[in-house]
Amino acid sequence: MGKTVLEVKGISKSFYRNKVLDDVSLSISEGQIMGLVGENGAGKSTLMKIIGGIYQPDAGEIYLEGKKVTFSDPLQAMKSGIGIVHQELSLVPNLTIAQNIFSHRERANKLGFIQWGELYKDAKAIFAQMNINIDPSLLVEHLSIGMQQLVEIAKALSLNAKLLILDEPTSALSEKEVDLLNGVLIDLVKKGIAIIFISHKLFEVFRISEVVTVLRDGKLIGSVEPAHGAQYMKLNSVKIEEVINMMVGRHITDLYPPKSSGIGKEIFAVEGLTREPYFKNINFKLRQGEILGFAGLVGSGRTETARAIFGADPLDAGKIYLQGQELSFKSPQEAIKYGICYLTEDRKSLGLFSKMSVRNNIVAAALQKFLSKFFIFKHKEIKKKSKFYVENLQITPFDDEVSVFNLSGGNQQKVLFAKWICSNPKVLIVDEPTRGIDVGAKAEIHSQLRKMAENGVGMIVISSELLEVLGLSDRVAVFSEGRLMALLDGKTATEEEAMKYSTRHVAV
Amino acid sequence: MITNSNDSSDELNVTKGSHGLLVSKKKSFFASREAGLLLVILMAGVLLTFFAPSFLQKKNFISVSIGLAYDLIIALGMTLILIVGGIDLSVGSVLALTGVITTLLLNAHVSIPLAIILGLGSSALAGLITGLGVTRFNIPPFIASLGMMSIARGTATVLTSGYFVTNLPDSYKMIGRGVFLGIPYPIYATVFLVILFAYILKNWGPLAKTFYIGTNAKAAELSGINAKLITLSSYIICSLMAGIAALFQTARLGMGYAQMGQGTELRAIAAALIGGASLAGGGEGSVVGTFLGVVLLAVILNGFILLNVSIYWQGVVNGLILVIVVAVDAIQRAKISKE
Repeated sequence: MGKTVLEVKGISKSFYRNKVLDDVSLSISEGQIMGLVGENGAGKSTLMKIIGGIYQPDAGEIYLEGKKVTFSDPLQAMKSGIGIVHQELSLVPNLTIAQNIFSHRERANKLGFIQWGELYKDAKAIFAQMNINIDPSLLVEHLSIGMQQLVEIAKALSLNAKLLILDEPTSALSEKEVDLLNGVLIDLVKKGIAIIFISHKLFEVFRISEVVTVLRDGKLIGSVEPAHGAQYMKLNSVKIEEVINMMVGRHITDLYPPKSSGIGKEIFAVEGLTREPYFKNINFKLRQGEILGFAGLVGSGRTETARAIFGADPLDAGKIYLQGQELSFKSPQEAIKYGICYLTEDRKSLGLFSKMSVRNNIVAAALQKFLSKFFIFKHKEIKKKSKFYVENLQITPFDDEVSVFNLSGGNQQKVLFAKWICSNPKVLIVDEPTRGIDVGAKAEIHSQLRKMAENGVGMIVISSELLEVLGLSDRVAVFSEGRLMALLDGKTATEEEAMKYSTRHVAV
Repeated sequence: MITNSNDSSDELNVTKGSHGLLVSKKKSFFASREAGLLLVILMAGVLLTFFAPSFLQKKNFISVSIGLAYDLIIALGMTLILIVGGIDLSVGSVLALTGVITTLLLNAHVSIPLAIILGLGSSALAGLITGLGVTRFNIPPFIASLGMMSIARGTATVLTSGYFVTNLPDSYKMIGRGVFLGIPYPIYATVFLVILFAYILKNWGPLAKTFYIGTNAKAAELSGINAKLITLSSYIICSLMAGIAALFQTARLGMGYAQMGQGTELRAIAAALIGGASLAGGGEGSVVGTFLGVVLLAVILNGFILLNVSIYWQGVVNGLILVIVVAVDAIQRAKISKE
């Protein structure tokens, strides 16, 4: 273990009366990768923002390489060698990679004109440190999210970062990109750079970190050292459970509720659904009480299929049957009328009305139901229904007039569930229901999904977390490159089997 | 996780803004934007009375009310458009077009009811065209309405060849000049429309949905709201408001001409913004706020007249008020989002 790069002692921070960090101390050494985990609201982001100079702590000290420092603004922290890659990327899409890395510091001649040749050379040099070969004159908007993330890291490196902080770096990455990122991080660490990364994906965190630190309710609970080497999968399962218990403060023995005991008759079926080039010839049936999972890699056509079923996108060909009746939807409005509902993948920009209250969001898809004749709103009923769902789904804070953007990710997702349950669906498709949500809330949402299925709603669950799909579904539809490759039994399917089908190449 | 709900709701208080469409939190009225505006208006009124006592005369009140009636009718439509996330720069021109068409028809001895219907029809048509441009052809509302602004104004000019259209039947003029209990008809109509809009925006399904569309059009569509139809209807209604204002104005003045309503769009937008609407996306706006905004601007204009200040300063002051109000609003929003 090398010398200590960063040490924080006794950091506390409150926002109004909300104590977000309570006497937190930790340290990280050169060349170490630390995973920082905790539920939403545990204080991880706040701690990182304090280290990065975005917030000032109410109490406590920061020591960089043994020397006490105070950062009055992020720029100071950056210049001192602390680089943060935030969850929301902050690159300028229509500028080149090189410009994004060196913004405001471009190589210029005496008259201030940018020396492009030198600029690109500098950019290439930074990427060389990460063992990546890339053309720095490419515009950022043409890069995949994974590559954009690497550009952000390059930016931090260009400022001679001694400590790199990554906030949820892999939430929007494909498997390949995750591997690439991990490779880059390992290379950086070999050069002595310390890395802290925040993530909800415990398996990933365990795979790559030297030490995993857990925060809960603003306090540092403890650290765990993941096992590496031959038996690591088995050993880490135990340690991960330990970490989950630390994060949540209670035992979560079953992340997934028991599967269906009685499956009813068919309520929904699709035949030959096609929309070039996104998906082709999708066929499946859905029965009452059943959860059908859509597994597959990012880009395999699951979301596109769901959107087309919902009427949000047009179909080239195919038939949809609801309770035996053939239907076609030209718009989500029609689909909802028939009882087909879709909870979008991107809840912030496509699902929620951020500025609006919880109440307005909950009734948003069922507005028609609350209109009396002459289309007047029945406000009393709206209020009653809304309070019912807040109570039932335990949406905190228990005030339905609060704006939803104040809610945590888990509660926002509950609001979306309430929205769709409120419209009395016959079939509900949920896309990435637990993305960006912490462990405790995940379990709640899983049990909600199962409850809905038991109430007779046909459930389709799309998720990129294979374990989630397998743990939750009664049957699993595995997608690959726009085709439905296999329908597996949820009780017996294995990860390997599912992976095999989801990576199978389509013979044209 | 986060502290118990009692603690959180204190900080969250600041975010309950003017999006109260289906529900409005019974937060203290005194903390609301509308209350603040009312206060400013009262202060201005008091100040004005001090310097020009004739402010308080009934004659003056009526004259101010008539003056603001047209702007208010149009501002109501503008508020709707801003809530749905659009903008309509053509209202002044549509007012002129409607006024011109109606008066020309009356001159051609068309019956009054028919002339009114055709006049309003032309305003609705203008709104339909602008609305289709926005919803069907995805033309940005600014551009679409800017285009209609020119087209409508141009058409009005062509139709009148620049001349004033007079010779209107007396019964038509009564619409604008008639008085009931000492108060002119247009004021009753305006009050009725204000109450109607206030009620509709909170309670009438089809138009209350505009708040959803303005907040997040894509999410609205995915929630089953027919965003395109409702947006189109909003443009039609907004132009129709301009048409209604034109009827009263031409009736009261006794003439129609192509230069009517110039500057109306800016005053209407200013009033709506002062009243709480937002140009940065939609989903916000309030009828009461818009009403107070129009009143504020009208009181200031009245002040100019009573104090014998050159009318030309009005533009400067209106502009300043608009910028200050929007700036203060923006600063408050930035403060809220930081927390």
